[in-house]
Amino acid sequence: MNINLKTAIKYLVLAAVLSYPLFAFASEYVLHVMVLIMVYMVLAMGLNIVPGFCGLLDLGYVGFYGIGAYTAGLLTIHFGLSFWVIVPLAALNGAIWGVLLGAPTLRLTGDYFAIVTFGFSELVVLFLTNEIWLTRGPLGLPGIAPVSIDLSWLSRLINPEWDWYWEFFGLRPYFYLGIFMVLLVYIIMGRMEDSRLGRAWFAIREDPIAASSCGVNLLTYKVIGFAISAAIGAVGGAFLARWTMFLSPDMFKFWESFLVLCMVVLGGLGNFKGSLVGAAVLIALGEVLRMVLPTLGLPAETRFLAYGLIMVLMMRFKPAGFFPSIATTSLKNPMLIKLKKELGSS
Amino acid sequence: MLEQQLINGLTLGMIYALIAVGYTMVYGVIQLINFAHGEIFMLAAFLAVTFITVFGLPLYVVIVLTMACCALIGVLLDIFAYRPLRQSPRLAALITAIGMSIFLQNLAMIIWGSRPRPFVQDALPSFLRTTAFSIGNANVSWMQLSIFVLASTLMLVLFFIINKTRVGTAMRALSQNRTGAALMGINVNRVISFTFALGSSMGAVAGIMVAIYYNTLYPTMGYVAGVKAFAAAVLGGIGSVPGAMIGGIVLGIAEALGAGYISSLYRDGIAYAVMIAVIIFRPSGILGKSTVEKV
Repeated sequence: MNINLKTAIKYLVLAAVLSYPLFAFASEYVLHVMVLIMVYMVLAMGLNIVPGFCGLLDLGYVGFYGIGAYTAGLLTIHFGLSFWVIVPLAALNGAIWGVLLGAPTLRLTGDYFAIVTFGFSELVVLFLTNEIWLTRGPLGLPGIAPVSIDLSWLSRLINPEWDWYWEFFGLRPYFYLGIFMVLLVYIIMGRMEDSRLGRAWFAIREDPIAASSCGVNLLTYKVIGFAISAAIGAVGGAFLARWTMFLSPDMFKFWESFLVLCMVVLGGLGNFKGSLVGAAVLIALGEVLRMVLPTLGLPAETRFLAYGLIMVLMMRFKPAGFFPSIATTSLKNPMLIKLKKELGSS
Repeated sequence: MLEQQLINGLTLGMIYALIAVGYTMVYGVIQLINFAHGEIFMLAAFLAVTFITVFGLPLYVVIVLTMACCALIGVLLDIFAYRPLRQSPRLAALITAIGMSIFLQNLAMIIWGSRPRPFVQDALPSFLRTTAFSIGNANVSWMQLSIFVLASTLMLVLFFIINKTRVGTAMRALSQNRTGAALMGINVNRVISFTFALGSSMGAVAGIMVAIYYNTLYPTMGYVAGVKAFAAAVLGGIGSVPGAMIGGIVLGIAEALGAGYISSLYRDGIAYAVMIAVIIFRPSGILGKSTVEKV
């Protein structure tokens, strides 16, 4: 037998997760949480590009998430376009805003960049709240059509009288759509990490001056990274819009940026695979706290207390996260440290 | 109309300036955007109300007591959250600051509840809401006048501390060159703690004044006020204390005029837009020196 135990267990777990929604006992709630985890997996992988790969703190990620969601929501309501058309359009809109914000601001040093992105996301929320003619403001945007992966002809084939398709499937199409989306972003991230682009980003993160003296155009690569990250955030938003079928400006407050940042840091800065774990752990933790806190008489929002504490402790004891990226770990390599000392860079 | 907006803006600006000096001093000394500074502002308002309702202390005692408490909170924040990260990358310290901000905000939510509450009106002298004097068509209330006088006094005290005392000299030395200052025998950690204490106590006064002025306090109030004060610090040139004062006043007036003449819905947006524009076009601010990055 060539298959070792570890691989076998991995595939068994994967098969169990994939087939879980097909069973009758898969409750809507658990499915909902699983879909939510997948949305955040996409967001966390996308955000990881900026602080993880390029070493810049982006506090405005939720702005792109919101832009993507509202783009998708409005396009669905007003033009009734298909999901497969809307997602690229939302991604494009996210990327455009990424370039518009990134091109003038990515020259800035870390702290200033963080605060500008933060201001941007706040402006997005203000826009969504106040431009009532477009977004209905605080009332929210209801009635976004769900994704129709209509397989009901299958059901009619069996019994024309009984349309069991929606009855049975419920959230299930979103589950598989989510898996597809996570996989797609995962593959894209993997390809990017291993490309010229990814290497340039890591070089910028480890030492911008050395990178630029090796011919890496800092601004160009940073803007590309920021735009791709924004586009992935917008894809997450587009999926959210078609899944929840309702949007409101409250869904895109700063907390969301912070939550996704927590996932990235927990999973490991610069390791997009770690972001998957970070998303799963923090959403699961959030759901547990959401259930526990009200029994203690506390509002569910106080779960952010735990997130805040996690962030502080992570930075104190494991600043690179639980699964640090290879490059950051290699800094502990004595030879590299010696080399850095000889070259005189701090 | 215009005069009234200017006076309202000036009052607001004095408050922003008081918070902004806290950001700017900490940034000057350890190059950290202390995101949790806004939360200290919020805690001050809640502590003041608690001191009044639980112990029944008079307002001026409460202000002094709250200043002391917030100074202590600021020092503890530095010791427990930021000091262990002095040698770490800037990113780590910045994320910690955000983490502390979220932590403190939610702690306040657990202790005092998440609903907005009014300030204790009984503790206030009743004449505060009445008009002190009029300039043209505009009325200046006693409240606004006392905010103006209190904030100006505090800033003068701050100027004196920074420019004339030993510890102030040490703070300025530290913001020039931390290693150099340490070599000259300055106890770096103690001076940084003092900076946090000073900034936090200024923010505390601002917190109490805002709570009285708007007659409301809630756990998330530090968030928006903190960002606006930070915008003021950036506007004036971060790291420069007089810059923070000027930036605060300019921002307060811009906000009042913008809310009055452009759109009150985008009241907060004006501060963000000013901040983004300043960071992009003149990152060194009004009074800041443009620093050349050393290679």
